[in-house]
Amino acid sequence: MSSTSSGRDSVDRRPYDAKSGAPLPQREQPGYYPGFSTLGQKRFWDEATRQKVLDRVHNVPPIRFFLPAEVALLETVVAHLLPQDDRMPSRRIPIVPTIDKRLHEGRTPGYRFAKMPPDGDAYRIGLSAIEHMAKKSYGRAFGELTWREQDELLKSIHDAKPKPGAESVWEKMPIHRFWALLMQDCVEVYYAHPWAWDEIGFGGPAYPRGYMRLEHGEPEPWEVDERRYEWEASRDSVSDPSENEIASHDGHPPAGQGGTH
Amino acid sequence: MQSIDFPMHRHAPGEEVDYVIIGVGSAGGVLLQRLARAGFKVLGMEAGPFWDTERDWVSDEAGSHQLYWEDKRVTGGKNPLALGANNCGKGVGGGSVHWAAFTPRFHPSDFEVYTRDGVGVDWPMSYWDLKPYYELLELEMPVAGPAYYPWGDPHGYAFGPHPMGGVGNTLVRGCTNLGIGVSIGGPVAILSGSRGNRPHCIYRGFCIQGCKVGAKASTLVTHVPDALENGAEIRDRCMVSRIHHDTRSNRVTGISYIDRDGKECFQKAKAVIVSGYAIETPRLLLNSACAGYENGLANSSGTVGKYLMAQIGNVILGRFDEPVRMYKAPPAHALTEEFYETDPKRDFARGFAIQTVGPLPIAFAKQMMVARGNWGWGMRRIMMDYNHWSSFGLLGEILPWADNRVTLSHETDQFGLKVADVSFNLHENDEKLREFGRNKTEEVMRAAGAKEVVQEARFAHLVGAARMGSDPTSSVVDCYGRTHDIANLFVCDGSILPTQGSANPGLTIQALAARTADYLISQGTVIFNSDRRDMTPPPVRPELSPPGTHGVGVPRVANLASR
Repeated sequence: MSSTSSGRDSVDRRPYDAKSGAPLPQREQPGYYPGFSTLGQKRFWDEATRQKVLDRVHNVPPIRFFLPAEVALLETVVAHLLPQDDRMPSRRIPIVPTIDKRLHEGRTPGYRFAKMPPDGDAYRIGLSAIEHMAKKSYGRAFGELTWREQDELLKSIHDAKPKPGAESVWEKMPIHRFWALLMQDCVEVYYAHPWAWDEIGFGGPAYPRGYMRLEHGEPEPWEVDERRYEWEASRDSVSDPSENEIASHDGHPPAGQGGTH
Repeated sequence: MQSIDFPMHRHAPGEEVDYVIIGVGSAGGVLLQRLARAGFKVLGMEAGPFWDTERDWVSDEAGSHQLYWEDKRVTGGKNPLALGANNCGKGVGGGSVHWAAFTPRFHPSDFEVYTRDGVGVDWPMSYWDLKPYYELLELEMPVAGPAYYPWGDPHGYAFGPHPMGGVGNTLVRGCTNLGIGVSIGGPVAILSGSRGNRPHCIYRGFCIQGCKVGAKASTLVTHVPDALENGAEIRDRCMVSRIHHDTRSNRVTGISYIDRDGKECFQKAKAVIVSGYAIETPRLLLNSACAGYENGLANSSGTVGKYLMAQIGNVILGRFDEPVRMYKAPPAHALTEEFYETDPKRDFARGFAIQTVGPLPIAFAKQMMVARGNWGWGMRRIMMDYNHWSSFGLLGEILPWADNRVTLSHETDQFGLKVADVSFNLHENDEKLREFGRNKTEEVMRAAGAKEVVQEARFAHLVGAARMGSDPTSSVVDCYGRTHDIANLFVCDGSILPTQGSANPGLTIQALAARTADYLISQGTVIFNSDRRDMTPPPVRPELSPPGTHGVGVPRVANLASR
């Protein structure tokens, strides 16, 4: 995973300890479940699942859809959408190659919103819109902006109040759908990875063994109890708003897309 | 775990079959099984694969996309529906492979909402016509649940309820604190004890990724094996492109399909049953337009594609100080139907249910993206709290509206067939119901002790778009699924539902399929040789249940309910 732009030490981009104010050390495994390893349980998984998950960990797909300049820009954008500066570089989860694979193979979620272009086109149009916004608002390429400027530009897309420079694009392509496309693809890749499961304490594949402690959030014998620590997002980031800002979130896009019932 | 260790019968090339069934999903699987058992020559066409569950399925959220219908479609309108993983299956078993398997019956009121409330439309049948088939299917799947289920027509379940998971704990606590009745451990079509060659549930929580265990019912494990044993054939990975119609006789003659090698083939049939669900069924009828039916086959009423329904499916999420770990136990394991019926004190008709759901990490992240606007460090932070969240699904009735519909897009799919364009708009009653239901569900979540409660608006399930009715000018099929226009063309799947209640539709779809099968069997060869329409109700044929299912267990209060 390439580190990004702005020529600044990534220590500034790390979350910091809420009490001491010191940057958090980069960890092999951030999160509140130190020592928990889903991959450590892989001998209890069925063969098909084991192959699928290990392939995900060991075989990062080659870039075939995006052009090199698009890859560089998308890597920077994704580093804001799902920052991993608290992870040791060797334990960061590659996201862009898997998005590229989906687009290369032409896989869709089974529908396209009537006002949206096909996903691949939406990426290309959206990435070029981001460049235009950077030029118009800051007079520089997106990759030349400071980390905070990049974060603020992306937040303006999140808020559906885009900084100037790409008005004609957003007239044609609903901005909240473009944001959802990006964000959904990012979480679909990151939270499919066993390192992310370890981070959040999710048990991972569970066939044929299953679970036996169903109530009160109790861990299985091979799971671990939570050990929380307090942390604040990087001071250069605007992506971790206060509870008040969350409470006033008005919930666009208007409908979710997952399948839960 | 699904093993079929005998060879499947193959009809000879060019051989005419009695019934060709298009789509081997919830309805198609049941139809195939019963018609084969009754001795008909039946062929099931399935666009997706015939699963070898141990080889093909994984215990993994991102790796299960093959179970969903992810071909090209367009979705629009004021409230566009998400399709794919949300509501559309592909492969033998169809949507029943990835449903959460909640199996409540519809209430008696659901069959007469126009008479009672002046909204929607009445069904051309009553609850009591369908009840015997609910009882059969609840044993055939079978359904686990409480011995006494108080809502609608009160009844009980023969198979014991499941133990509670973390989400069910919170639903019971919230409901109890507010004095709301709640059903725990079912009704859900998941085995609580092993049965035949199917093992019991292992509580791994991957229901909507396909039950690799074999504990959750899908027609792939409940009905297809018996169908094959009785001589049915399934042609998988075959996409039906057209139903052929003979203008002179006004009868259908067979189908065209594109086989797994990309070759276009013709199959002759004495009768055709379309079981492609609420989008592919109208799409196929519309794509089969021909002389005499220029606006779509069996569409003289103009209603093919119209009155499509989804259910209000908002997910209400609550954060608890103590861990919940909602990935354990089946997502579907507790619910309340206390708000199901029309309440004159409310300013809208009909009602809703509140059910447990159990999003796995990717689904939860997408929900938080919508519900809290999370991204960046905020997304990483909220996901680190995944194990502290519980989630309820609001399931609310949306009424049938003519402008909610499936039409053909000018775009084509990988076979060159025009794709479905789906348009969906909420109307005033739907929006009022959604608002009330959302607030009530949030109240339950708070009463359970959640400190933060957020919600994601979404939709669940799909029905309608080829509805049944008595009036040929405003419906597509009669109460047995026969098209009003063409005597040997049937539709049998979720698309024939005129209204939908606030119950998950899977059980009702399969019950309707069993009833249609009884009707077809009663008609014998009349359907093949004549256009006569005999509307005499068929006798219920419990002997057609898969072996060892009928008469098993004791639904203790099934017969106590008064009519």
